[in-house]
Amino acid sequence: MTASVLAAGVLEDTIRAFFQGLPIGAGFALVAMSFVLTYKTSGVFNLAFGAQAFISAATYFELHVRRDWPIWSAVLVAVVLVAPVLGLLLERLIFRHIHASSAVAKLVISLGLLVALPELFKLIVDYNREQPFGAVGIIPDGTTVYRLFDRYPVTRDEIAAFVIVVAAALALAALFRYTRLGLRIRAVVQSPRMTELNGVNADWVSSGSWMLSSFFAGLAGVLLVPTTSSLGTVLEPTGYFPIVISALAAAALGRLVSLPAAMFGGLLLGVVTTQMRTHVPRDNVILAELQGPALPYVMLFAIIVFWPAIRRQVVGADPLLGVSPPPPALAATSRSRGMTIYTRIMALAFFTAVGIWTFGYANNFWISRITHSVIFSIIFLSIVVFTGLGGQIALCQVTFAAIGAFGAMQFAQRWDISVIVGMLAGAAIAAAVGAVLSIPVMRLGGIWLAIATLAFALFFHDVLVKYNWVGGSLFHGRGVPRPEFLGVDFSSRENFLILCIAVLVLVGVLVILIRESSTGMALRALRGSETAAESIGVISWRSRVIVFSVSAAIAAIGGGLLAMEERLVGYEANFDPQTGLFWLVIVVVLGTRTVEGGIQAGVAFVIFPELVLHRWLGLDGAWRFVLFGFAAISFARHPEGLLEHGKRRSQAMMQRMFARREPAVAAAGAGPAIDGGAETGDEP
Amino acid sequence: MSLLVADGITKRFAGITALDDVSIALKEGERVGLIGPNGAGKTTLFNCLLGLLRPDAGSVSFDGQDITRLPVYRRARLGIGRTFQRVELFSGSSVRDHLLFAHRIRSGTGALWKDVLGLGLPKPAEIERCDALLESLGLGGMGDEPIEALSLGQSRLVEVARALMTQPRVVLLDEPSSGLDRAETNALAETLARIQSEQGFGLLLVEHDVELVASFTERTYVLDFGRLITSGATPEVMRDPEVQAAYLGDFVAGTS
Repeated sequence: MTASVLAAGVLEDTIRAFFQGLPIGAGFALVAMSFVLTYKTSGVFNLAFGAQAFISAATYFELHVRRDWPIWSAVLVAVVLVAPVLGLLLERLIFRHIHASSAVAKLVISLGLLVALPELFKLIVDYNREQPFGAVGIIPDGTTVYRLFDRYPVTRDEIAAFVIVVAAALALAALFRYTRLGLRIRAVVQSPRMTELNGVNADWVSSGSWMLSSFFAGLAGVLLVPTTSSLGTVLEPTGYFPIVISALAAAALGRLVSLPAAMFGGLLLGVVTTQMRTHVPRDNVILAELQGPALPYVMLFAIIVFWPAIRRQVVGADPLLGVSPPPPALAATSRSRGMTIYTRIMALAFFTAVGIWTFGYANNFWISRITHSVIFSIIFLSIVVFTGLGGQIALCQVTFAAIGAFGAMQFAQRWDISVIVGMLAGAAIAAAVGAVLSIPVMRLGGIWLAIATLAFALFFHDVLVKYNWVGGSLFHGRGVPRPEFLGVDFSSRENFLILCIAVLVLVGVLVILIRESSTGMALRALRGSETAAESIGVISWRSRVIVFSVSAAIAAIGGGLLAMEERLVGYEANFDPQTGLFWLVIVVVLGTRTVEGGIQAGVAFVIFPELVLHRWLGLDGAWRFVLFGFAAISFARHPEGLLEHGKRRSQAMMQRMFARREPAVAAAGAGPAIDGGAETGDEP
Repeated sequence: MSLLVADGITKRFAGITALDDVSIALKEGERVGLIGPNGAGKTTLFNCLLGLLRPDAGSVSFDGQDITRLPVYRRARLGIGRTFQRVELFSGSSVRDHLLFAHRIRSGTGALWKDVLGLGLPKPAEIERCDALLESLGLGGMGDEPIEALSLGQSRLVEVARALMTQPRVVLLDEPSSGLDRAETNALAETLARIQSEQGFGLLLVEHDVELVASFTERTYVLDFGRLITSGATPEVMRDPEVQAAYLGDFVAGTS
């Protein structure tokens, strides 16, 4: 008797969870399908998707809530007008020109847009001028509850989302299967040049497919308003990021190319989430977290790592890719002896001047900023190692940096051991974590590796940080002292800055040694051609483990120093996974192939927004993100890095000037001394 | 004694038998050809020898050691070098770098701690060695050239040089003539023959250019539809009427 009642209860719970899961899954499915659509139609792994969705949603919000337009007209403008126009602009201004770029370049650009687009939109419509409440969905009275079978509650919003998703799936399937446009879109993704040879205007097809995918992004954006913002708050772009990442798990099920798989994957994800919430006990932190936000990340990671189709997936290369010229060699390899000496003298003069100013005249604020930029230079060298040397993209450097910071904190607080030891222990732990992480992901291609590491970073962020043995208590006990060792007290700002500079020099030399030695050679060979590298005996897994570990350890050392500088682990401010995206893009854009590129990125990250944007130009903080987006876009034209590009140009110019007579030499001397000092930084 | 031996190799792809009980052997210092029309299974056999494919039956051994299950890089380290039909070079690296990488990996001095202590930087003696080999292959003075600047013929020579820097005991050449004209092919063959007789490594030439095989190899295996149809001294194989009629077409028939 009691057993059957219990069983009936369990059954009812299961069915209820199923109906609760479907609408959640419909949201995932819509995003996953739009994501697949963008990938299919443009070959771009479009992480800016969330930004596009946000812009349509915010347009709708602005028009309907703030300006009292009727829902239908607001939706019409936001989804049918704004979204496709945005897609057209993105295609015309950016993505058309990067067809031949690597998948990684496209990823970087989409990360830049993810950050920049919402900020640009907010600046244009003055979005933050007031904080009115009341983000509402597009379905009138969407929260009205119906009861299925008189028992299971669903809202009108949820029913509408489900219906729209199924309709969209059918429409898209028909487009690709039965129309000429669908066929042409698929051809253009593969090779625009080849398609043009067959008499199709690839530009128009490309524009059309971007407008279509942007329309779907907009549709997803407005439909998801009820889920991305709890009702009564202002719509924010950050609300879309977790949904997009979660939906990636569904998109990954279809290897990014199958629309039906993306739809079913999304629905499944929603149902699994609610089933776990219903049936899995919550008495364990990990189990409890798995029912919350962490589940999609775990599933995403598991799908990428274990779904055999993904490991086998070969990104179709454009057969006419060879038409584009190869990337140019580093400027430093082609400069004359005189130029090398000249740039080194200039660099020395520049650093001496900065040093004298810092230690003689700078106030505490600027000393702290300079220390920060030195520390971020160290952290960014880990990206130089991973991306510049290893040729791959990882989005979990923040996690490794956080491990270093927590290491310093835990050792100092728990066991009263020197923070330096703690930092080094953190580096060792990070190296071990990196090595372990590298094993499942090392066979993955560029984009999948990036996404798997992002999933890991998000998992760390959502689950592991909350453990005492990782992040300490969330609210107290985060103080981190500055070190004292070798009889020197590094607690003053100036002394600590000297310590940081010493570490930076040490790490920089280390990176150069690794790059120029056997390990670097093996990595360069692997980056050039993995098949050929193995044919001469390169052990690819060994090289990958090394590059993961070394890069993790460097990030952890930087993270430890950052905690000491700030005297606490500012986890939310410094080590959020979304910050990690920012880190990656800034280093990649400025130049990953050299140590000076990493240092310039560190300076640019800390000093530039403060000095140039804020003090000199007096601009709103949002401009920082907009500029950042433009910088990311420039990556398409200068994949070697902006500064490397500038260096080569100024070097060519100066070599021409040197070649002329005396008066020109003086003129050339004046130019780079002002703005080019850091650019021409010394590097053996 | 044979150095590289494939014994009874069988490989199937989704119901199609690409290789059916194929056995070949290669002695040290020997020049052997492997010919057959397109689709005969030449490349499949090649990949089984190198470890890119694992045979469904049969074994591969090298110097008496069973290497059927060894990964590619282990075989490379034992002394099996190769070149590629579609040139596979390290884009972004110079010509000399290619040789230097191969030398480094062969000499096994790649420990991270040595790199960190500055003991892993290229030494003058190593660079000299690389340049000497480039010189003898007719690529003297091109060490600093970016690899992208080379012609296809030169790229193939760099592949050969890269394989030779691993001090291989056998070198497997995968259709080295593809994409080259007759004059370039002859020049490549001449250089290969000279280097091979100087260094004495075994050489397995997988080709469909019959002229090259006829002029270059001592023994030849002929594959068709995944089966070994004949083998023996190259001139005799070339005279075999079955081979002539079916695979070699007018060229041999006309000249013999």
